[in-house]
Amino acid sequence: MKLNLFRLALKNIRSRRTRSWLTILGVLVGVTAVVALLSIGTGVQEAVLQQFEDIGYDIILISPMHAGGTAPGAMGGFMPGSTADGRFGGQMPTQPDFNSSSPGTFSPENLGGSSSEDETGDGQFDQMREALARTASSSLDTELLLTQVPQLIEAGTLGTQIQPVDTGTTSGFLRVSTPSLDFLEAFPSVLGGFEIASGSFFTNTTENQVIVGVRSAELLRMSVGDSISINNIPFTVIGILEASDQSSDEDEGSDSVLSGQGLAQNLGSGNSADLLLRGLTNTDDSLFVLHERASNVLAGRTMSAVTITRVESGASISETKDAINVAIGQQDATGTPISIQEVADEIQGTLSLIETVLASIAAVALIVGGVGLMNTMYTSVLERTREIGILKSVGARDGQVMTLFLIDSGLMGLIGGVLGLILGSILSLLGTRLLGPSLGVGSFSPIIDAWLVGGVLVFSFVLGALSGVWPAWRASRLNPVDALAAE
Amino acid sequence: MLVLNDVHKTYQMGETQVLALRGVSLELPPAQLSVIMGHSGSGKSTLMHLAGCLDVPTSGSVEYGGLDLTTLSSRERADFRSSEVGFVFQKYNLVGNLTALENVALPLLLRNATTKQAHARAREALDLVGLQDRTTHRPAKLSGGEQQRVAIARALVNDPTMILADEPTGNLDTVTGDRILELLSQFRADDKIVLVVTHNPEIAETADLVVYLRDGRVESQQFQEVAR
Repeated sequence: MKLNLFRLALKNIRSRRTRSWLTILGVLVGVTAVVALLSIGTGVQEAVLQQFEDIGYDIILISPMHAGGTAPGAMGGFMPGSTADGRFGGQMPTQPDFNSSSPGTFSPENLGGSSSEDETGDGQFDQMREALARTASSSLDTELLLTQVPQLIEAGTLGTQIQPVDTGTTSGFLRVSTPSLDFLEAFPSVLGGFEIASGSFFTNTTENQVIVGVRSAELLRMSVGDSISINNIPFTVIGILEASDQSSDEDEGSDSVLSGQGLAQNLGSGNSADLLLRGLTNTDDSLFVLHERASNVLAGRTMSAVTITRVESGASISETKDAINVAIGQQDATGTPISIQEVADEIQGTLSLIETVLASIAAVALIVGGVGLMNTMYTSVLERTREIGILKSVGARDGQVMTLFLIDSGLMGLIGGVLGLILGSILSLLGTRLLGPSLGVGSFSPIIDAWLVGGVLVFSFVLGALSGVWPAWRASRLNPVDALAAE
Repeated sequence: MLVLNDVHKTYQMGETQVLALRGVSLELPPAQLSVIMGHSGSGKSTLMHLAGCLDVPTSGSVEYGGLDLTTLSSRERADFRSSEVGFVFQKYNLVGNLTALENVALPLLLRNATTKQAHARAREALDLVGLQDRTTHRPAKLSGGEQQRVAIARALVNDPTMILADEPTGNLDTVTGDRILELLSQFRADDKIVLVVTHNPEIAETADLVVYLRDGRVESQQFQEVAR
């Protein structure tokens, strides 16, 4: 019997094709928005968490800043053009533009967008250099730390600097990463891998050796054996790295954002999670000098020396953090231990909040679609009054009339849901391709799981049916004689 | 036997009370063609609606086989219409987006019949009214006479015990009307109660019982011998 009512409802939808499609369109738009936003949001979360998982949840990061989150001499307070969120309006040295009108140099004037002479003058860069020097915190002695905190099994240091670089044909500012040997041995995953494509690994700590990220090598037109001046100190390129996983999916524009503004953000906001995501895991745009060497020849230039530690399996992360705090005090150093889990939780919480807000906005569109459906059903009841009378005269019960209209509206909701699901999936696939690089999470896929599919289909059917409840109830209560008399 | 005892029906139209029936008592026996005649507003259609359980009287009782139909719930009245009553209306009242076959099958589909069963019986009913070659046509593609025959097939498909027809020939030409009347007359042989509401005196000539209503009251009722 229900099947028969289902067929009758389907026939009715078909017979009022244009109006049915317009009604379905209203639901479709809402569902599309919800599906696209939820699947992209979940995909971003998954991709971000996967990066943390790759790094390892047994890692505790000791950032060289106070517990309040502000690095000594934090740049956010003095950088010209910096904004509240730590972004820079183009003044920050960023990826050089080698395609500019003066290809021989990548001085601040042709770096990262429009900037006036006043804003980017030498004075300001001197000011920046002084500030960078001030941020050079006294790095933790990692060997001592391992003896002080027995739960730690590995520790290493990774510094980041922005240095004037000169190849003889080009000059400008570039990021120089200074990992310690311990770090490269124990935590290559933090950098997303450190594979040599050509040349060799560092051979000693007494010579000025530099390993170049693949994109920096391309931009600087450098190969193994070439000389490069970093902060006016001659270095020899001994190796060029393999491209990182992320680089293949990122375009040039977004890279410059990551390497320049991303780093500026890290320094300005002191957000370790951001540092991890944007700074540490991008090797393509960096030059690498061993920390042990850099601390001698590039002393005073360390902007952000992060100590990375690994906790032994089974040890309590929070207890280990307490022990690290004690050790930092004993070493008379500054720093705040943050576990990867904490960073991941913080980011996940923020992403969830953003996702919820966006989904709520999309839900409004869905409710509007539901109201449209209700309007259509109400009109339909008015138009089909005589038909309702006919149904009743041939023996339809009130409940059957109501069910018929509920199936009618529910079906329109369901069709809108199915089509919205398909369109939302397509949009989310396109969206992830566009958003992935700009979000700094590389390539990622939207998550369209069984819960989302099932939830959307059930919800759209229920929304449709609920929108039809009142009109259907009115239809079922019609007096058959009055209904038959309707014109 | 359908028995109406002192049936009153009052409608409220805005602030006005319309007294459609004022104490009608009637007995409509099976295997007979009964015709209700009267002027417009005399209460003919109201009487038919009450007899077919489409409506309930304001007072009085309508009994069928000893069952007081006025005590039935809305659901029971729907079931009674489904199993015992077949309606034929002046305006045919077919569902526009269904084919002739689907219209005729509708009463069965609203019960527990499968589509296959319902369509098989609907075909038989359409055969009976001579429309076996019009099964896939929608009402808009059928003539008035054909639509009325589809309506009669629909009234028959449940094998009801009473056929109630409200002006069944009102929108038809004389020849087609005669054929419809002939069809309705045949149901007497099946022991059905056949009640026809009409203005047409020619129909009254073929009826076993002719009831005249005037202002909601039975003015006269007349049994007559007719050739079958």
